[in-house]
Amino acid sequence: MIRNPNEIQEQEKKLRILIAGYPGIGKSTLALSAPNPLHIDVDFGIDRIEPRYRKPFIQPASYDEIMGDLIPSKLKDFDTLVFDTGGKLISLMSLWAIKKDPKYGQRDGSLSLKGYGFVGKEFVRLMDYCFYELNKHIVVVFHAIEDKDGDNTRLRIKVEGQTKNNVWEPMDLGGFVEMYGNNRTIGFSNCERYFAKGTRGINGVIKIPELSQSTSNDFLLKLFEQYNAIAAQEVEQNAEEMAAYETVMAKGNAILDSIEDADSANAAMPKIKALKHALTSKQEFNVSFNAKIAELNLEFNKAAKKYFPATPAQEDAKGAE
Amino acid sequence: MSRYLLTHSLLSSWLWTMKESPYEDMTTEKDSYAEFISSLNRVPIPTNAAMQKGIDFEDLVTDILNGQGNQSSNWYEAATQVANIVRGGLLQYKARRDIKVKGFDLLLYGRLDALKAGTVYDIKFSGGYDAGKYIDSTQHPTYLELVPEAKQFTYLVSNGSYVWPETYRRDETPSIIPTIEDFLDWLDMKGLMNTYKEKWLAL
Repeated sequence: MIRNPNEIQEQEKKLRILIAGYPGIGKSTLALSAPNPLHIDVDFGIDRIEPRYRKPFIQPASYDEIMGDLIPSKLKDFDTLVFDTGGKLISLMSLWAIKKDPKYGQRDGSLSLKGYGFVGKEFVRLMDYCFYELNKHIVVVFHAIEDKDGDNTRLRIKVEGQTKNNVWEPMDLGGFVEMYGNNRTIGFSNCERYFAKGTRGINGVIKIPELSQSTSNDFLLKLFEQYNAIAAQEVEQNAEEMAAYETVMAKGNAILDSIEDADSANAAMPKIKALKHALTSKQEFNVSFNAKIAELNLEFNKAAKKYFPATPAQEDAKGAE
Repeated sequence: MSRYLLTHSLLSSWLWTMKESPYEDMTTEKDSYAEFISSLNRVPIPTNAAMQKGIDFEDLVTDILNGQGNQSSNWYEAATQVANIVRGGLLQYKARRDIKVKGFDLLLYGRLDALKAGTVYDIKFSGGYDAGKYIDSTQHPTYLELVPEAKQFTYLVSNGSYVWPETYRRDETPSIIPTIEDFLDWLDMKGLMNTYKEKWLAL
């Protein structure tokens, strides 16, 4: 069904989020604050989570086992799939890939270049399957490592090879969990410390509320609600801007089509001045207009404030340029 | 009043010099300071193999947009992905904007690979890529200053097989102005201001 972009309603959109941080900072607990999560405990680290925050889990020993569990009939009670950790998930994928085809591996058991490409694509395929077919929120937890870049120390997600780029690709949000003084925070904006991913008003560094006996572990649940509330508003605003942009570009193109000579160019000027530009339509239109004027070999006379056919002298001068 | 041209490439070359401190390590393969002085003197840079690959990839994108792409190219699929993103946009747009920094009249200049519906696109061909590779680049802060109407800047990075878009929104992009201020101060301190004024005088 072909739909108009202005009709988009994203209030109930499922989200894909990447959470990274140092070991022990509370990433898994944070990940399990998403709505009705299934904890895919690839790291076998559930015992490190306080019992009251634990959720139903699987501890797969192979990638085949994960795929066997991720079928609609087994997931009716869950809204979110938490992959903990993504690095370990990719390790299982790597073993699966090499078993599937030895050309994806090297003699020492690591992935070949082709293998990295295959596993990267498989990661994106798995995320797409969970998101589009299973219709679940996805949370992928990654350990962070420090990376020296000159005098700067950067945080990066701990994944081998080029797969680290594929893991960002499907994500709506990506944040780094860090301690600022006594506060645990998650940062969604790019900064000197890390490359993150924020959209739909989820930007900057957000304080993660401290958990106590009287509070619920619902940070991501609330964040997802906030995202979807802003999404609806932002989609509406973007749709308005895009509609204005497309309208003015269509009007501009119609004006350009009407210009055939100096007279029609002069007649078009008031219409061009009346165009109400949106986004970068002014730059885009002006370049097309100048190209059209050049194509018709017209010159603007500043004194008369009109276009005229270029005189032979002007043409000669142009040819000499 | 004279005004002077300023490009992201010149700022980038200068920042590279600052980062490398070549004289602290004589084993440094490239003398970034010498490279910067060449850039400051507007000495043309010979095209190396990596640059040529980038040019060839962009040419393939352009050919695809013109319906003439070589389908037998190993890069065809990736170049098609890039072409589909920038299709309908303004290609190779030369953007200029007058700015005043520390009393200097500067003409900020940049050639945009594509401009479309509020997004500036730059096509990169890179053998190695890490997400966030361009976080420190002066390109997106400079180009967003050049095109105030643009809402975001997207690097379309490809190794010929994959395409990784890396987007920076305006609200998460630092202003380029403080970098320009530092650059002008540094030129003054190093006695290179006259060279800059002579070589980068805008006509």
